[in-house]
Amino acid sequence: MAEEQVVRAEGLRKLFGKHAALDGLSLSVPQGQLYGLAGPNGAGKTTLIRTLCGLLRPDEGAAYLLGWRMPNTRVRSQLGYMPQDFAVYDDLSVMQNLEFFGELYGLRRTHVLGRANELLDLVQLNDRRRQRVGTLSGGMRRRVSLAISLLHKPRLAFLDEPTAGVDPMLRRSFWDYFSALAEQSVTLVVTTHLVEEAQRCHIVGFLMAGRLLTQGTPSDILVQTKTTNLDDAFIALQERDQVKS
Amino acid sequence: MTSLAVMKNVLRRIARDIRTLALIVILPLFFVLLYGNTFSGSYSHLKVVVVNADNGLASVRTAEVGRVTLAVHLASSFIDALDRGTFTVVMADDASQALSSVGKGVWAVLVFPKSFSNTVVNEAVRAGGARSFKFEGNTVTVLPGDPVDVPLTTVAIDDSNPLVAQAVLAGLDAAFAKVLDTQQSSLTVKSLLDVRPLYEGKIKMLDFTAPGIIGFAMTLITIMLTAMAVVRERTGGTLTRILIAPVSAWQVTLGYTMAFSLIAIFQAVELFVASTVLFHVRFVGSPVAVALVIVLFAVGLQGIATLISTVSKNEAQAMQFVLFLLIPSIMLSGVFWPLESMPASMRLFSYAIPLTYANSALRKVMLTGYGLGELSFELVVLAAIALVTLFLSVLSMRRQAYTA
Repeated sequence: MAEEQVVRAEGLRKLFGKHAALDGLSLSVPQGQLYGLAGPNGAGKTTLIRTLCGLLRPDEGAAYLLGWRMPNTRVRSQLGYMPQDFAVYDDLSVMQNLEFFGELYGLRRTHVLGRANELLDLVQLNDRRRQRVGTLSGGMRRRVSLAISLLHKPRLAFLDEPTAGVDPMLRRSFWDYFSALAEQSVTLVVTTHLVEEAQRCHIVGFLMAGRLLTQGTPSDILVQTKTTNLDDAFIALQERDQVKS
Repeated sequence: MTSLAVMKNVLRRIARDIRTLALIVILPLFFVLLYGNTFSGSYSHLKVVVVNADNGLASVRTAEVGRVTLAVHLASSFIDALDRGTFTVVMADDASQALSSVGKGVWAVLVFPKSFSNTVVNEAVRAGGARSFKFEGNTVTVLPGDPVDVPLTTVAIDDSNPLVAQAVLAGLDAAFAKVLDTQQSSLTVKSLLDVRPLYEGKIKMLDFTAPGIIGFAMTLITIMLTAMAVVRERTGGTLTRILIAPVSAWQVTLGYTMAFSLIAIFQAVELFVASTVLFHVRFVGSPVAVALVIVLFAVGLQGIATLISTVSKNEAQAMQFVLFLLIPSIMLSGVFWPLESMPASMRLFSYAIPLTYANSALRKVMLTGYGLGELSFELVVLAAIALVTLFLSVLSMRRQAYTA
């Protein structure tokens, strides 16, 4: 049986004015994979995620999630999305934020409480659960946002820069958690502008100017670029791309 | 120098924001045009229904040929003398039917009795002394007769707006005075009129304007709160997060509508209680009818606010759009100035403003005590506005998720 492609993009093109944020981009992510989307600022990572989630309509091409062409409402209950901005209610407490989004996903209160404990342990905010989000630091708010995205145990999650502003220790525990989720057949697409973080992913896609320069396992990319780390690999790919164009 | 840099920066940022820039340029001009076109300074098109039962004949005693009957048609002269710039005159036959129409879009009803001409001429002669005039080619002298019972001209007047009622009476006085002048008499206008104010003069200007002011306060608070909340939700990213969850734009819009309608209802109760307790504003109707008007009105306002949030990139823009809506609301909805006195072109805008219908309905309930049956037109329009804006706000909600 063919491996299920949970995420599939075919020739995505998205223009903002004359600028192509996505330029004929195609990719596919099999189920249970931790896919790292790396690239510099402005490479098109967020636009790609928003287009895949159905929040932006591509000018050309199509996106499929869990077999459904996007945008599609049937995917929503199985989809987790963590936007790049905090997207949390500053005037509510951490728990109130989780409870509200839990209700939107139709979770029972007891279930929300159980999941909240688990996720707040992960993001190390259990002792702040009653604190108003607006009084937390930027990094903490991002952690609340991550907890909200994973609250309903999605089958597929898009996490846009979940580790930005997070300290190294906690960042490591996040990546451990993402790997554990992938082992449970959850598919994750995680963006990062820290290329070395992509080392933790099963598949890495390097994005540059709305195009995918390459994708593969980290070791395959190192072999392909004859480099010893992903930072160097990315620079080599960029240089090759500039020579070509 | 630092202040100059700050000033330059503020102006440069505004210059980059085309919508704000457009509003800055257009708003003042818009207000002036609105004000100038709406408040012309004099009332016009005030509807007056006239029942003319006057047979036009006056029977007088003369020194030369005894009693003669003259065809003078004074009621017709009076009707002709009514200033058509101020009044829209509608003739009717049935007096009781005409009298019942006062207050329902009719500012005054005049019923001339059958012997109006006869009475005026005889009373004029009696009050002014013998006089001569031509009769069948001969000059005859009309002699004062015995006083006659003066059958008064009934003037039923809608005094819900004391200023308009005054203007109507002044207009009628002027027309009567013109006719009486032709009779060279000292007869006064008042002696010929039986003025019956619909509300017996009990309505103060405050009573008349209070329903509109309460409606305006609701418009102001509801639209501002809702528009700001939706814009904040969108710019903060939480709206995208909500709409990516398995909920429909309908459910989200309904949630918003219920929340802000509850707030609007609470505020309306506060406004009504404060107005009646502190300022004894007249409230003779049913609170249930008022509640129904308020709920429909609030839902419509909420829908409009959501639409405003769609076209506003940020809270500052939302605020300007709100102002763009609020000023015409207070000027064109008939709160202070009767709709019929506005130019026809401005009246078209009035009919598009929800406050026009809320004001009319609240006024009917509060001042007159009308029930739901008499409010059916306003309720249907408010319900239609609520439904249409609710539908459009669902579309707008869906669109906002994609543009956040």
